[in-house]
Amino acid sequence: MTMFHFFNCAILTFGPHAVYYSATPLSEYDTLGTSVKAALVYLGTALVKLVCLATVLKVSENDGFDPYQELLKAVIGFIDVAGLYFALTQLIHRNISQNHKFQAVGLGWAFADSVLHRLAPLWVGARGLEFTWDFILQGLEANANLVLSISLAALGSLMWLRKNKPKTLIPIIYTCAGIVATMPSITSYLRRGLGWDFPKVVVFELFTSLSMAFISWQLFSACQRPS
Amino acid sequence: MANSKKPGGLREMLESMYSVIALLFILVACVELCDAAAAVDVYRLIQYDMSGSPFGSRFAALNHHAASLHFPPGVDLSRTVLIIPLRELNITFVREYINQKNPLGGLLVLLPEVLSFKTGGNKQVHEKEKMKILLAELERLLVHSNIPYPVYFFFENDEIDTVLADIKKNDLMGQPATATTGGYKFVIPTAEPKKVASPTMTNIQGWLSGLKTDGDANQLPTIAIVASYDTFGAAPALSVGSDSNGSGIVALLEIARLFSLLYSNPKTRGRYNLLFGLTSGGPYNYNGTQKWLRSFDQRLRESIDYAICLNSIGSWDNELWIHVSKPPENAYIKQIFEGLSNVAEELDLKVGLKHKKINISNPRVAWEHEQFSRLRVTAATLSELSVTPELLESTGGLFDTRQYVNETAIVRGVKLVAESLARHIYGHQGKNIQIFADESSLAVNPAYIRSWLDVLSQTPRVAPFLSKDDPFVMALKKELAGHVDEVNVQHETLEGIFTFYDSTSARLNIYQVASVTFDLLLLLVLGFYLIVLFSFLVITTRGLDDLISLFRRPPSRKLKTA
Repeated sequence: MTMFHFFNCAILTFGPHAVYYSATPLSEYDTLGTSVKAALVYLGTALVKLVCLATVLKVSENDGFDPYQELLKAVIGFIDVAGLYFALTQLIHRNISQNHKFQAVGLGWAFADSVLHRLAPLWVGARGLEFTWDFILQGLEANANLVLSISLAALGSLMWLRKNKPKTLIPIIYTCAGIVATMPSITSYLRRGLGWDFPKVVVFELFTSLSMAFISWQLFSACQRPS
Repeated sequence: MANSKKPGGLREMLESMYSVIALLFILVACVELCDAAAAVDVYRLIQYDMSGSPFGSRFAALNHHAASLHFPPGVDLSRTVLIIPLRELNITFVREYINQKNPLGGLLVLLPEVLSFKTGGNKQVHEKEKMKILLAELERLLVHSNIPYPVYFFFENDEIDTVLADIKKNDLMGQPATATTGGYKFVIPTAEPKKVASPTMTNIQGWLSGLKTDGDANQLPTIAIVASYDTFGAAPALSVGSDSNGSGIVALLEIARLFSLLYSNPKTRGRYNLLFGLTSGGPYNYNGTQKWLRSFDQRLRESIDYAICLNSIGSWDNELWIHVSKPPENAYIKQIFEGLSNVAEELDLKVGLKHKKINISNPRVAWEHEQFSRLRVTAATLSELSVTPELLESTGGLFDTRQYVNETAIVRGVKLVAESLARHIYGHQGKNIQIFADESSLAVNPAYIRSWLDVLSQTPRVAPFLSKDDPFVMALKKELAGHVDEVNVQHETLEGIFTFYDSTSARLNIYQVASVTFDLLLLLVLGFYLIVLFSFLVITTRGLDDLISLFRRPPSRKLKTA
């Protein structure tokens, strides 16, 4: 029953993206093009990041947490933010409201991330006879990533697309964006530096993604009030 | 829109989170967290045909769930593998199971690690005798039965012990592993075993020429020392035969070394030729010895004064036996026996004489000297065994490992044979002269014996699985060539009543599999999750009415017009 398990893990990893697209008004306004463009931008940023990592990083012998390397990785992670900026501001979108734009971009971004990072291990690993919990946890991680990407896109659109923001909220917006952008470094520190095992890390990711989503939702609606 | 729906949306979000977490707990409770798959080396029971009748395990590939001896009674085992550790093995249970031809997916016997020649090494064996008797019985039962499912042997280690403990726990709870309840799956992916086409037996002979003076017109008399080097056991990949007949080979090599030292100097070269023979085909009625003797020149055969065959001289205390087929009153036999007894007395050990008549019409050849006797050459076998072994017994089985051999016994055996040979060659009968005394340059070398014994105890030597240019056979030839003048190798085909099948070892993969019910449950949970997510998103972004409108098309049209 191994193709069965693969199918289960695949719908856990990629299902929510499709559900999100069809459930929200995104499908009504046909924003598929935006999502696809965002996915392509993600591909481009991933390639750039790969090149930078290959030139800058050195292969470590042990699996421990090297602060200097992790710092470099975090800095390179900001290329992600740059890519998102490019996708939100530079690409030409059709007439879609800002509300839907960031959702579409975040969705495309998260889908490309899942496919790039999780499809290959799933195909190779989940079809074997041996059963592990890893792929289910990976699917949950993909869900958390979806929520995080959408919140990052929301905060990004607040930062770069909305001109009239309440002054008090601006620092909060930037700190939240900073936290969300450095999530990968935080999780790798937890896994390597503190030695948390995979389920714990996934639970932490889910929890933080939901709380970040909630906070960004509050910020977004707060910024929308004056208009 | 979002503002008015905020309290409701928040509550729903929390509810869905709680339900997801609760379902996760249920899933975790169903299937325990598992370890990775393990892979071990396993060794198959021998498969052979004797006169057309099949024996041994007839299958090699395995792909079934595993169960231990604690399986609930009445359960169908035709698609399960039974894994039995040796200490829990009940011979009567296995015998009944096989004799009643009950169906079974496979049988895996777990041997203690100390018997493994790769990892067991020099550990001490507890309860030696009990284990030896149990293994001998098991081997006898398995080798002489026709078993229609795969049977494998393998060794305990930590991974296997945890897997076995897990399996026992599941069985005791009344949940034997099947496709619907999960558990462990044992997979051995090998091809169907094929017949070994024309198996070869390789006989190695070494010739040490005696001193021929000008006065001798005829050929010098010859003394032959022979030992068979191949083995046969329940698991051919484990049949190292340290005692049967590793001890014999080692003794022969040491005797060759000692006499080559003596013969290297013309002043001490005896007036006898020495012929050393390492024969194959021992377990199969000494087929190889027969072919080797038949290949001899008539004159050579007539010049053989007598032959001494060495068979299992590695684990005796104080008594050795000389087995003969000519009656003890025969002058030559008396001579041989007296020579050996005199030396034995000096070495403080006993030799006894056992006479067994040969029946020419019976194809069964139990001792190597019988092949000589059938061609009218005087011969005797020196062995620690007092009882004649049955066919395919005492040929190096599962229990015949390094720990069961005592090298001091071999050293004493070598001294006995070498001294009596030397006294015969140099005519010192009755005189108390020790040629191979300790501390002399001709002393028996225990280190040589020990190192060769160690090598032999790590080399399985079942003849059909040794190719013509097998490295071990070549090594034996090279070693003998270092001691003698001339070495010849003879290749023969193992014909006759035996046919063998290959595939003697394989790799076992152990997987922990989840049951089908688990997959179905997971599918239900995920479907539910996606539906909840969908409804949640529709409600928060488009409103509850939209959700209901998805399921009721006709009324929505009416609503629109209204």
